[in-house]
Amino acid sequence: MKITRRSLVDRALKGSLLALTFKVGGASLLLTPAEARAQDVPLQKLSAEQARRLGVLAEGMVPGSEELGVVHFLDHQLNADPNEALLIAKYFQVAPPYLNFYARGLEVANGMSQSATGKSIEELDAAALEQLIASMAPPGTVVEEFPIFLFYLCLRSDAIDVVYGTPDGFARLNVPYMQHIMPPEGWNG
Amino acid sequence: MAKVLEPVDTVVVGTGAAGSLMAAVLAEGGKSVVVLERGKARKMEDLYSSQIWARRLKWGSPHVADAGPDSIWFNFNAGHGYGGAAIHHYAVWPRYHEDDFEENSRYGRSLDWPFSYDELRPYYDQVQEEVGMAGDAEKEIWRPPGDPYPLPPVLVSNHGQVLARGFEAMDMHTAPIPMAILTRPYKGRPACIWDGWCDAGCPIGALANPLAIYLPRAQKAGARLQPNAHVTRVMMDKSGKKATGVEYYTPEGEAFIQPAKAVVLCAFTVENSRILLNSADSNHPNGVGNSSETLGRYLMAHPAIGVTGLFDEDMQNYLGATGGQLLSQDMFDKKGDPNGAFGSRQWEIGLALKPNDMLGIGMTRPDIFGAKLEAFMQDGARHMGSMVGVCEDEPLITNRIELSSQKDAFGFPLAKVVYEMSAEGRKLWQTAAKEGVDIFKAAGAREAWHGPPGGQHIMGGTIMGKDPASSVLNGHGQAHDVDNLFVGGPGVFPTSSSINSTFTAKAMAMKSARYMVDNWSALSG
Repeated sequence: MKITRRSLVDRALKGSLLALTFKVGGASLLLTPAEARAQDVPLQKLSAEQARRLGVLAEGMVPGSEELGVVHFLDHQLNADPNEALLIAKYFQVAPPYLNFYARGLEVANGMSQSATGKSIEELDAAALEQLIASMAPPGTVVEEFPIFLFYLCLRSDAIDVVYGTPDGFARLNVPYMQHIMPPEGWNG
Repeated sequence: MAKVLEPVDTVVVGTGAAGSLMAAVLAEGGKSVVVLERGKARKMEDLYSSQIWARRLKWGSPHVADAGPDSIWFNFNAGHGYGGAAIHHYAVWPRYHEDDFEENSRYGRSLDWPFSYDELRPYYDQVQEEVGMAGDAEKEIWRPPGDPYPLPPVLVSNHGQVLARGFEAMDMHTAPIPMAILTRPYKGRPACIWDGWCDAGCPIGALANPLAIYLPRAQKAGARLQPNAHVTRVMMDKSGKKATGVEYYTPEGEAFIQPAKAVVLCAFTVENSRILLNSADSNHPNGVGNSSETLGRYLMAHPAIGVTGLFDEDMQNYLGATGGQLLSQDMFDKKGDPNGAFGSRQWEIGLALKPNDMLGIGMTRPDIFGAKLEAFMQDGARHMGSMVGVCEDEPLITNRIELSSQKDAFGFPLAKVVYEMSAEGRKLWQTAAKEGVDIFKAAGAREAWHGPPGGQHIMGGTIMGKDPASSVLNGHGQAHDVDNLFVGGPGVFPTSSSINSTFTAKAMAMKSARYMVDNWSALSG
């Protein structure tokens, strides 16, 4: 297919940058992570507890990310081939499978929460959650031999992706998207 | 049992900057060529405009472990699939300077290349004309001799103009950044529209990625591309003097031998070394091409620094190319560092910004989270300025690529990297950190800061040199030990300079390929 600017713009007007193929009841549906969350699409990799904690942490880092489906985005990508994965963790030389990194990060973060407050992440009030995140954020922070700063950096970036990295996110910032081309409908992420 | 395929004249491993060009020149020179790519086939229409989807273009597996104090940021720098790393490169293409080739003989430091700039210059000029480079040679007061650019310079928006004020206030020069991006239609390719999606791959072919120029040329001349081919070893004859082809596996585990009269490895810095180390046999117990025991050694990465600031002006920072708008090499003097470090530096000024990703607005202040983040993102989207400083890394024999105890799906050891940023590079980085913030303040930034050290442009591992006792390749990119084995890409560089590596890798690949075509009888006999 010959690519011209016009054809690119035409195609760009269709679909969403973060539309992924989710499995629902044996069928494949092209949904945004926000739609997958709203439709309560079953998670493939994350447990319910992990999903709750990830959602709370991500929301504390980047407000709006939970509703925009950061947990479904992560769950979908944790299922992907490492070379095809859309997670920024790969840029930070995290060794696949990436689920191990996220699961351990959640364990350590929850341990930090328990040590500081006696509560799990999902039980924290806003001030305590902010305190927990602030304790993960200093560059180079390692807890229980785990690079919790790196986990913070990756999860914060994942959350920024779903809030600010899409055409809607650009619009929220009044930044022209100026796309050449977007993933076509049915393109399997 | 591996299936033996029909022999060809040349098998090229890798479809990136060097592999695509060498395949094109060899095929156009009348050689039968097969190009093996470990990743998937990719077309222009697969290059979606998104920093999120762009991650599919980068390396993910097999894992290259950092086993030293510092990371070379392999995954971010490397590529996966047709086009290799060059599919997501930013097309910042200054030339190496004359003294980059003669650091040892001129300064008693570092290493020498086996030839001078003058010998590489014709290939720079040829590649520049073929791809259509944009720039202003006269304004680049630091530029070594070379033909003028065929195209006028890249866009300079408010972003570049505001930051240029800072350089002017500090009595420093800037020039339009030389780029392999079309500013006018050229040889059937359209001009750039300055949308800043270079990292995600340019689907209109305005940026000189391999899908735009050299892979189509190679295919047109008869080269055959084979995706999903995981090359594991170079096969050798019984004498140990000649390569006979390569072995590769499909993702499903089916093994093939591709016989060839000449083998060209262009699988990027780490994989080239890994393949040669994994090719060890009784004649080459330490790996093919490793009689000098320098294979995998002298690994380098440019110490890089991001400088960011907030201004009162509307910076239009979404416009332009990811690699920037302006260049300054005023600090290139290798003995000019105020802290006494040896080596050069440069600034790439006015990088087009996106909200997310590694180089995005959000990542410039990772300490900001929660309710304060939205205000920061809004401010940054309108008022942020950005530039990147690139510093020279010293070639150290202790920085290296080794085989790991872990193995890939086919039973071959993975690569691991033992790397520590050179002391000279670290000092240059510190100088750049202060200078960059000063420039931003001089430009009127209400707030300016810099990021942590990063690694850009991975080089070395299969270095060229005149002496077979201290290098892997000669000045043609040809293995000292094996006449019909060639290596392309930035892994062949003996010094790093502080200049982006792709243009020099292309020029070197052109030099190697021309040599192969011109001396085919001797090396293929």
